[in-house]
Amino acid sequence: MNRRRFLRDTLLGTLAAATLPRLALAGSADNGRAAAFARGLRAEPWLIGWRNAARSVFEPTGAKLEGRLPKGLRGVLYRNGPAWFERAGFRYQHWFDGDGMVHAWRLDDAGVSHRARMVETPKFQREHAAGRFLLPAVGTTVPDAIAARNNDDMNTANTAVIEHAGRLLALWEGGSATELDAVDLKTRGPVSWREDLTAAPFSAHPLLERDGSLWNIGGMAMIGANAVLVWNIGADGVLRKSAVVDDSGPGYVHSFAMTERHLIVMLEPYTQGGEGQSMFERMQYDPRAPCRIAVIPKDALDQPRWFEVESAAVYHWADATEHDGIIDARAVRHHDLVQARAPLAGAMRGVRDPQGAATELVSLRIDLKNNTAQWIGRGHRGGEFPVFDPRSTRLQRGRIYLSVSAGRSRAPYPNAIAAIDEDGRTRVHRFGSDVMVEEHRFVPRPGGSKLDDGWLVGTVLDVDKQRTGLSVLDASRLEDGPLAMAWLPLAMPLGFHGWFSQT
Amino acid sequence: MTTLFPCAFFALAAFAATAAQASELTVEITDLRTQKGAVMVALIDSAAGWDDGSKAIARRKLTPEGDQLTLQFADLKPGQYAVQVMHDENSNGKLDTNFIGMPVVEGYGFSNNPRVMRRAKFDEARFEVGAEDQRITVKLR
Repeated sequence: MNRRRFLRDTLLGTLAAATLPRLALAGSADNGRAAAFARGLRAEPWLIGWRNAARSVFEPTGAKLEGRLPKGLRGVLYRNGPAWFERAGFRYQHWFDGDGMVHAWRLDDAGVSHRARMVETPKFQREHAAGRFLLPAVGTTVPDAIAARNNDDMNTANTAVIEHAGRLLALWEGGSATELDAVDLKTRGPVSWREDLTAAPFSAHPLLERDGSLWNIGGMAMIGANAVLVWNIGADGVLRKSAVVDDSGPGYVHSFAMTERHLIVMLEPYTQGGEGQSMFERMQYDPRAPCRIAVIPKDALDQPRWFEVESAAVYHWADATEHDGIIDARAVRHHDLVQARAPLAGAMRGVRDPQGAATELVSLRIDLKNNTAQWIGRGHRGGEFPVFDPRSTRLQRGRIYLSVSAGRSRAPYPNAIAAIDEDGRTRVHRFGSDVMVEEHRFVPRPGGSKLDDGWLVGTVLDVDKQRTGLSVLDASRLEDGPLAMAWLPLAMPLGFHGWFSQT
Repeated sequence: MTTLFPCAFFALAAFAATAAQASELTVEITDLRTQKGAVMVALIDSAAGWDDGSKAIARRKLTPEGDQLTLQFADLKPGQYAVQVMHDENSNGKLDTNFIGMPVVEGYGFSNNPRVMRRAKFDEARFEVGAEDQRITVKLR
């Protein structure tokens, strides 16, 4: 079948279903959502992590430093996450809907300072001016939404942030990357890598090649197509090549893994049987159908090999190795396919989710010679936001660092950082029952070459003291606790992913 | 290449005038995002004409002034009609789209303002014109 004709047809079909019905939800039930969250927040103080940011711009301010910054650790931790959930009494019901706010934590000889700013996407600007949400969202039915020109009209730039080729980029997954000023965080606008690829999906999880070039994918589920776009951007920031990998059915993908030779892209099958008008409301993972895995040669993007594996939901892939025809890719697998569609949905409504996410750090083992793929679990449960030392290789494989739940916790959210060796040995630092622990980035020690020699730098939210802080741990001795903490006088909404820019 | 928005859809050629009967249709176009280029409006009276893209019974080309515009189509026979609007900001005579045919930098709209992120179908955009004059609003997206 002609691919473009194919894309055209699926677009017509899926988006028609997505956007045609008039919405009958506007009214008191909707407008009560913000009030319900406010009531919930009074009873459950940890919900502060899902509260609107207090304002759209936070000017530079010093953070109160406890301990001492390591001598070699200088730079900026950028972080991104949804931070604007409510307007005019209406509150989004899906965490992924909030508009993005980018934070910059600067670590220098004077200590730690912080600034933050909402990403001024066209969506944010239009809705801020109107005083209400105007556009369709990915996980919530917005009453009386206006028609979107295209997917970028809905772009919230809320998922991750990277620095590449001298540009700071706030990332979403259903449309363009958004360029920001690396110093004052002001929004420069959406990036077009090539005119015909303007507004094409660009995932929030690009991976760096050793030569400084960047690989990324764009899942096309949101624009109704059964395909994945592959991007390869040079170290100079110029697009080298792109390709569309057609899939046989609807498949959702959030991130991917790669070895030296291959990209590994797993598509999670879903049906459109759900209720509601937003993408995640309609989308339901199909537990009967296997996940499809495309193993794509980096030097032949048009020649993917396809594999199947037992149904699973994965948002985050970590490292991957390849040797003698065996690929081993590590990932955080979600066992509850219903909950995986809307993580922390209770928190968005102002209530405690009955249980935390049922997750497990697993390996996906792909046998290229025998055409098989299988999951291998080692019982490491309850973590998310995996990161790793990118210098990790097959011969010397590094640790996975991730946020985990350890012991009693006030919130249904990770309260600790763990490092897991390839042999399964685990080291943990537990921040405490009142602390919610966000992603920590691995930062290699300058001049060092030993794997896992470096620091973990991330943020936490102390529910008891209602404040957000930066933490720095020695990656090889994280069980000893932070080398330094730097606290703001207030709590920020919890974010998703960050990037450490070393100076 | 087949796209969501074939070039012929808003072709500039043939500003056809139509034969007359009774009603006048006033079209108010709102939500222009810029003042650049031209706004092109096509009035179509059949599903076949809509799908073909080149069978408009009347076309108008207007210069943006402010964030809205108003125009009239006079002497319309009673029947079914649909309107499509394109804001050709760079004056190249077409609605610019990306690799899957998604309009990326220029506005467009349809009568009835159906909430679809693609070219509307005739059934979604059609409306009835009777013996009385009529006024519709097309919101550009």
